[in-house]
Amino acid sequence: MAVSLSSVVLLLLLIIALNWLPAPGSAFLIDRDPTTSSATLEPHFTDCISRDQETFRCWWSPGGFHNLSSPGTLRVFYLKKDSPSSEWKECPEYIHKNRECFFDANHTSVWIPYCVQLRGQNITYFNEDDCFTVENIVRPDPPVSLNWTLLNMSPSGLSYDVLVSWEPPPSADVGVGWMRIEYEIQYRERNATSWEALEKQPHTQQTIYGLQIGREYEVHIRSRMQAFVKFGEFSDSIFIQVTEIPSKDSTVPFTLVLIFGIVGVLIVIMVIVASQQQRLMMILLPPVPAPKIKGIDSELLKKGKLEELNFILNGGGLEGLPAYATDFYQEEPWVEFIEVDEEDAEGGDKEDNCSSDTQRLLGLPHRNTEGFSAISPPDDDSGRASCYDTDLPEHDTQMLMVSLLPGQPEDDEASPDAPASETSERPLIQTQIGGPQTWVNTDLYAQVSNVMPSGGVVLSPGQQPKIQENSSGSERETQKGGKLSEEEQKKNEPQFQLLVVVPEGSGYTGENEARQTSTPPSSPVPGSGYQTIQPHAMETKPAATTDASQSPYILPESPQSQLFTPVADYTVVQELDTHRSLLLNPPPSQSPSLCQQQHPLKAPMPVGYITPDLLGNLAP
Amino acid sequence: MYVYTTLGIQWSAWALLLWSQQLTASTLLDCRDDQGSLSRCTSISQEKLLDRVIHHAELIYRVSEELCSLFEELFIPFPFRLQSNQAAYACITRALPIPSSKSEIQQISDKWLLHSVLMLVQSWIEPLAYLQMTMERYDHASDMLLNKTKWVSEKLSSLEQGVVVLIKKMLDESTLSTVQSDQGTVQNDVQPEVLESVLRDYSLLTCFKKDAHKMETFLKLLKCRQTDKYNCA
Repeated sequence: MAVSLSSVVLLLLLIIALNWLPAPGSAFLIDRDPTTSSATLEPHFTDCISRDQETFRCWWSPGGFHNLSSPGTLRVFYLKKDSPSSEWKECPEYIHKNRECFFDANHTSVWIPYCVQLRGQNITYFNEDDCFTVENIVRPDPPVSLNWTLLNMSPSGLSYDVLVSWEPPPSADVGVGWMRIEYEIQYRERNATSWEALEKQPHTQQTIYGLQIGREYEVHIRSRMQAFVKFGEFSDSIFIQVTEIPSKDSTVPFTLVLIFGIVGVLIVIMVIVASQQQRLMMILLPPVPAPKIKGIDSELLKKGKLEELNFILNGGGLEGLPAYATDFYQEEPWVEFIEVDEEDAEGGDKEDNCSSDTQRLLGLPHRNTEGFSAISPPDDDSGRASCYDTDLPEHDTQMLMVSLLPGQPEDDEASPDAPASETSERPLIQTQIGGPQTWVNTDLYAQVSNVMPSGGVVLSPGQQPKIQENSSGSERETQKGGKLSEEEQKKNEPQFQLLVVVPEGSGYTGENEARQTSTPPSSPVPGSGYQTIQPHAMETKPAATTDASQSPYILPESPQSQLFTPVADYTVVQELDTHRSLLLNPPPSQSPSLCQQQHPLKAPMPVGYITPDLLGNLAP
Repeated sequence: MYVYTTLGIQWSAWALLLWSQQLTASTLLDCRDDQGSLSRCTSISQEKLLDRVIHHAELIYRVSEELCSLFEELFIPFPFRLQSNQAAYACITRALPIPSSKSEIQQISDKWLLHSVLMLVQSWIEPLAYLQMTMERYDHASDMLLNKTKWVSEKLSSLEQGVVVLIKKMLDESTLSTVQSDQGTVQNDVQPEVLESVLRDYSLLTCFKKDAHKMETFLKLLKCRQTDKYNCA
C-alpha cells in the first residue's frame, strides 16, 4: 500500500515536472512549439526518416547556436534499446553537408526503439521525445511511372473517366512483402488551390471519375505504409487534358438530320390533314342523317313543343313556311329537307298520283340541290339522336332506311368503315333527277298510321316500292365517300323487300330495339292491312333474332296492298287514347287516291309523327 | 465532442472493414473442430492457409493500431503520449530471440520464421485476455474499445491455430498449442484508471501493436519465400 502510494506520488511529481519544464527544443516526433523563439533554440533533430524500413537518416540543426553549425562541433549519438545494457553509440555515418546521420542496414533494426541525441563539447542536448521505432518513421518514396489512360466518355460528351496507373517506389521492397504500401492520389484543376484526394488503396492503379472536357488537371500521388500514419512525399505531377473528340462531331449532324427529317414529315402530314380536312372528316366521321323539316326549327321537335309544331305543320305558319325555309338551314347544304307542302291543304297527303312525300321532296331537282347530299352529321342532333343511334350497325341502318324507302340511298352513317365505293361520283342533280324516276312512288318517310296494341305499327300507305339497285341515290351516297361494300352489296343483291313486322303480344320494343334487330322476320304477319315482304339475302347480324315477335319494324306497308286508306303523311300525335293508340288530328281531307288505308281498328287512326318520347308511352 | 465524432467515424470504418473481412476470414481454418483435433485438419491447402494466416495478421495489426490510438485519445494525457517509445523497452516479448532487421530475417530459415511467429502469437494471448478484462473496468471505456479488444484477442487465438496447422503442414511437426506463458504481468489488484495502470495498459497496447506488425511482416516474407525462392532470399 505504501509502495503504491509512493509510486503514485512519484508519478504525480513526474507529471508536474514534465509540464513545467520548458522545452529546450522540440523533438521531431511532436509538433514544434511555435511560441519558442529561434534564438533560444537548442540544437535539435529536425527529422528522422526511413524510406525503406531498412535504413534511416536523421537530420539535425544547431538552432540558435550558430557557433555550433560547423561540422564536427555537434555529434550524434544513438541508443538502441535491444538489451538492458545497451549504450550510446555514435552515428555510423555522417553526411555533414546535410547535417545528416545515416544508419545503414547493418545498424538498423526494426521494432526496436532508438533514441538519438546531440552532443556538443560538454553539453548533451537530449530530448526524451526523440525516441522512435523504425517502422514508425517510415515515409515511403513516391510511386514512379505515373501515367493515365482515357477510360470512357460520358454520353453527353462533357466528362470522362481516367485510369491512372503507376509503379511502386523502387526503394520500397513491396514485392518481397517487406512493406505494405497504400497510395493516395490527389488531383486538382490547373488553377485551383485545393486538391481533391481520392481514397487510399493499395493497388497500383486507380480511376478518377468525372473529369471535364477541356480542362487541364494536375495529378500527383504519394504513398505510406498501410495502417501507419506518415506519408511519403508527393510525386511529380502529371497533367491530364482531354479536348473534344472528333468522333463526336460525326454523330451531331446525324442526329440533327434525323430530327429535321422527323419534323418535316410531321409538318407534311399536318398539311395533308389540314388540306384534306373536309374529306378526312367525311371518311372518319360520316354525316349522320337527320330529319329536318324545312321551315321548322328542330328545336320544336323536342319535348314539349308539340303545339308550335302542330301549329306550323297544320297551317298555322303556312305563310311563314317559305320564310322559314329560307331562314333556317340555308347555310346547311347537307340538310335534307322534308318539304311540308301545305299548299295542297292536305297536310302532307299524298297526291292524286299517290306521289309520296318523297316525291314531293324530290320533285324538283333544283329544289334539292342543296339537299340530298350525303347527310353529314349536323351540328345539333336534335330530333336525331334519339332516332338514329350512331352506333347502329351498318346493316340495321340500312335495313331501316331501306325499308322506309326502298331504293333510298343508304346513309353515310351506316358505313363508317366501309371502303370507298368504287362507283364514280355522280353529280347530285343527276342522281336526283334519276331518283324520282326510279322510286318516285316510294315513300321516303312513312307515317305511322296506327299502333296496334300488340305493338305493331300501321304505316301509312306508301307507293309501290321500286327498288332499283342502280338507284342513283345510292350512288349519290357513295359520292360522298360514304358507302361501301354495303352499297355494293345492295346493288348486287336482288331486290330487297319491305317488311312489316308485327310483334305478337310482346309489346312495343321501341325504336332502338327495332333497329338492333336486324334480321327481318321471315314469317308473314297475319292481319289485314299488313304485309310482309321478304328481303333478299340481307346479311344482317347473326345475333339478331329472327323471332318475329321481337322485331317490330317500322316499315312502310307494301304498296302492293291496296287496302290502305290514305291518311295524312305527317301529323302531330296529340294524345294517346285508352287503347294506347296515338290520336292525331284528323287529316283535313282524305285523298281519294288509290292509296287507301284500311283501318284495322275501330278507333280513329292515329297518324302522325312519333316523337321519341311518345314512343316510350306506346310500350304496353 | 470532437473525440466522439472521430471515434464514431473510426467505429463505422472499422465495423465496415471488419464485417467485410469477417465474412472472408471468419474462420481461419475450414476444418476447425473441437479443441485438440486440429491434427485432422488437412482439407485446406497450404497456400490457401498461408494466405489466410497473412490476412489475419494484417487485420490484427490494423485493429491493434486503431485500438492503440483510441486508447491514447481516451486515456493518455499529452505529455505521456510518446513515452511509449521509451517504454517499449519494457515490452514483454523483448526477451524472445526474434530477428529484428530485414537482413537478419532473410538469413533465418522458414522453420525459424514460423516458430518466431508462433512464439509471438502465443506470448500475447494471455496479456490480451488480461487487457480485455481490465478494459471493462474502465469507466469511460467506449464500447468500441471493448469490442476491438475482444475482437483482437479472439483473432489472435484463431491466428495461433492457423500457425500451428501451418507449421504442421510446412514443417511436418506438431507443436503444442497455447503454451501458457508465465510472463506474469497480470496484476488484478491495481485499481483501474489510475495513471499507472493506464500507462501500463498503454505500453501493453503499443507493444502488441509492434509485435503484430512483426508477425505480419514475418508471414509475408515467408509467403514470398514459398512462391519465389530466388528473388526473396
